[in-house]
Amino acid sequence: MTTNTVVSVNGLEKTYGKANERQYRALKDINLTVEQGEFVGIMGASGSGKTTLLNMLSTLDVPTSGDVVVNGHDVTQMRGNQLADFRAQEVGFIFQDFNLLESLTAEENIGLPLALQGTASQVMDQAIHEVAATLSISDLLQKYPSELSGGQKQRVAAARAIVHHPAILMGDEPTGALDSTSARELLDLLTTINREQAMSVLLVTHDPFSASFCQRILFIKDGEIGSELRRGDQDRREFYQEILNELGTFNE
Amino acid sequence: MLGKLALAGIKNRRRDYLVLLAGLTMSAAIFYMFANLATNQAFIKANAAIRSANVIFGFGAVLLIIITVVYLMYANSFLLSMRQHDYGLFMMLGATRKRVGQLVFLETLILGTVATAIGIGLGLLMSKFLVGFLLNLLGLHLVHLTSFYVPAILATAVLYVGLFILASVFNLFRLTRTTVLKLLHSDSEANQPQVKPGRQFIQAILGILSLAVGYWALANIKVLMMSAIPLALVTITIGTYLLFKATILMVIRQLRRTAWSKKHLNGFLLGQLNFRVYNYTRMLTIVSLLFAMALGAITVGSGYHRQLPRVVDHFSGYSVALHNVSGKEEKLIDQLHIAHQATYTQKRQGKVVAYNAAEFERQPFEQQRFSKNGQKLIGYDTQSLKTFKKSGIKEMDFMALALNGAGPYAPQILSASQFKQQKGTKMTVTVIRVTNFTRDMAVLKKLNKIETSRFVQPAYMTVGSYQSFEMMTGFFGGFEFIGYFLGIAFLAMLASCLMFKILSGAPGDKQRYRMLFKIGVRQSKMRQGIAKEIGILFLIPGIMGVIDVLFGLQMFKPLMASPMSPYLGIGSTFLIFIGLYVIYYFITLALYWRIVLPQATND
Ligand SMILES: Nc1ncnc2c1ncn2[C@@H]1O[C@H](COP(=O)(O)OP(=O)(O)OP(=O)(O)O)[C@@H](O)[C@H]1O
Ligand SMILES: [Mg+2]
Repeated sequence: MTTNTVVSVNGLEKTYGKANERQYRALKDINLTVEQGEFVGIMGASGSGKTTLLNMLSTLDVPTSGDVVVNGHDVTQMRGNQLADFRAQEVGFIFQDFNLLESLTAEENIGLPLALQGTASQVMDQAIHEVAATLSISDLLQKYPSELSGGQKQRVAAARAIVHHPAILMGDEPTGALDSTSARELLDLLTTINREQAMSVLLVTHDPFSASFCQRILFIKDGEIGSELRRGDQDRREFYQEILNELGTFNE
Repeated sequence: MLGKLALAGIKNRRRDYLVLLAGLTMSAAIFYMFANLATNQAFIKANAAIRSANVIFGFGAVLLIIITVVYLMYANSFLLSMRQHDYGLFMMLGATRKRVGQLVFLETLILGTVATAIGIGLGLLMSKFLVGFLLNLLGLHLVHLTSFYVPAILATAVLYVGLFILASVFNLFRLTRTTVLKLLHSDSEANQPQVKPGRQFIQAILGILSLAVGYWALANIKVLMMSAIPLALVTITIGTYLLFKATILMVIRQLRRTAWSKKHLNGFLLGQLNFRVYNYTRMLTIVSLLFAMALGAITVGSGYHRQLPRVVDHFSGYSVALHNVSGKEEKLIDQLHIAHQATYTQKRQGKVVAYNAAEFERQPFEQQRFSKNGQKLIGYDTQSLKTFKKSGIKEMDFMALALNGAGPYAPQILSASQFKQQKGTKMTVTVIRVTNFTRDMAVLKKLNKIETSRFVQPAYMTVGSYQSFEMMTGFFGGFEFIGYFLGIAFLAMLASCLMFKILSGAPGDKQRYRMLFKIGVRQSKMRQGIAKEIGILFLIPGIMGVIDVLFGLQMFKPLMASPMSPYLGIGSTFLIFIGLYVIYYFITLALYWRIVLPQATND
């Protein structure tokens, strides 16, 4: 099997607080890789460092030390505009609180990453309508976020995250604010996107059900990666059970 | 405990509070300065020029009060926008509405009282230095101008503290009536304005019609008299409001359909403007009107003053008339650029002054020649000695060459031989007309000073165009002073109104720009985006205000007849004014950037 690595992290450390203040080591010597087309979950208790890790990978925050390479770019060497451009081109985001701009319609929200790259408007229209069809939100495009339900908002957010074909899609508890039906729909959609477009997905969650959609799960505890589960050929239900068992032992 | 929490909240935003406090203080200071000038009876009684401007003072005071009320409203909403999240939180944590209400009330009142107190102090200082400076600049000397005047202090204190009590009550009401949830999420709401093309078309038509009526009324002030001003004020306000409401949204909507809106942050900018402008319509209307009034006041005031040299030749056929020119005066005269100069010998006796006909043969006395309607000066004429003896000799210009404390001597022109035998005090008078009044003004001033110290003349008379000019300067300088004063005061307040309104929206924008940051928008792009957004919000009332002024100046046409014109030289006034406005824009922008732009590293 010849796969390319999309994310590779080496000896990543993050310490919050300046040298003369109270310091907190949120991440300690993290090593991980995500292959092209992989669907990886990161699980852990509250405060274990999941968001911190995702922020390092997505360049929203700067690591204290270590290397982060995403799709061939050494993220730790980038500055200012390079970082912004990197996020705009290589990373798609879905957040727990949607992060849609309420002054823009769904269509305009989805088109934003393309607009930022100066894409021609016909190309943009086509891309928006394609992705809207995939996520079955074609009839919602003219609406404003305030006119959408939580599940619909999150699908619009997902559409915005993938419309520009980023190298990796990252989600920080994307199902956190959704009811179980909407959550399931979203996870099914993420699975479809992952499979059909071979887009790598990195999903942070503390919810075993969400995690059971992943192919591989990394467990993080007190800023360190503790163990790892692979789904292999198991079906989702069996994997779900395995996760629950693992959590039982992991949390002791 | 709650008090401590509230204080901590204020400490966290001390810079924003400082901006707010500074704004309120300035406003109170300006009001005090104006109240001091407008209410100080001794000062008004002693200054004729000001007394005639009393109406303008009254008008100005009304405008100043209106704008102060509007200003405090926006300042207060800025305060609320900073605090409501905290207060919502307190209530959610179980603080009673009553307790929170007390806090709100106290906070507003304390802030207001402190601002008023500092403001009056500052106003005293500014009255002392700034007003004097401004008057000096305009070459005015006003007597009995004190900076400390108790009734003015009282007026300012009563108005401001009264308004702050109102604001406190209003805040109390607002906070105790809204649900906790609304307070907590006050920023995240954005109502999308509905667009109904038919209705907007009608609004636009009505708006243009009202504006037309208003402008027409101003242009025909001669016919409509005083009723023109309130009529114009109402129709222009309504017209501007409707026009804003109808067109801006429509334009934004059309723009959002274009390919341009799909490039970079343009779509975001339009989206922001779309719901902002809608909320801002009322405010933009007020601001544009205030902008117009401020600019109008300055334009007219300085227009009068600046254009005086232009009409100065109309006042008299000569610039100065000097008697028995001394050596010192000779030297000064050498510095002048002379268009015409003539010297005549006088013999004064009793009530009569005699002249020598021979001198008039040699150098006839030059008189002004006016156009047929008597309005425009077209040149200078001389009459034959015969006609001059009949008509020219009775002209005020000529009579004024021989004066004593009571008035002019009766002039007589005698033949050379008769003149020789005539008895009386012999003296000479030299009339001088300069080519360019403005250029020689300084020298003329010195000459006039020497002349008036050596010879008496009745207080009610002016001799030559220079003296007329000095008198008129005093008069119109008063106008200009009030114009500048009101203009700058208005500008300061309206620009900070706009600033507070825009800054009130900053907490909501903070989240939006944070989102943009996350999806990879460059910092420079965000800066540009904000600059454009705020720029447009400043630009709209600015443009509207300029248009208002351009039409509104029609009103002053009857007062500033040709060759004066309310439109002459408005470029430089506009530039100064717009320059100040732009400075406000940059201050707002800097503050906005600081509040809104996400830092590169934090969660
Ligand atoms: N900006 C910060 N400054 C200081 N400490 C921080 C900061 N952000 C996070 N931390 C600390 O780092 C640790 C990890 O935080 P993180 O947000 O990554 O947790 P998490 O795994 O995402 O938790 P949750 O599931 O609750 O979202 C926590 O103990 C937190 O207190
Ligand atoms: Mg988290």
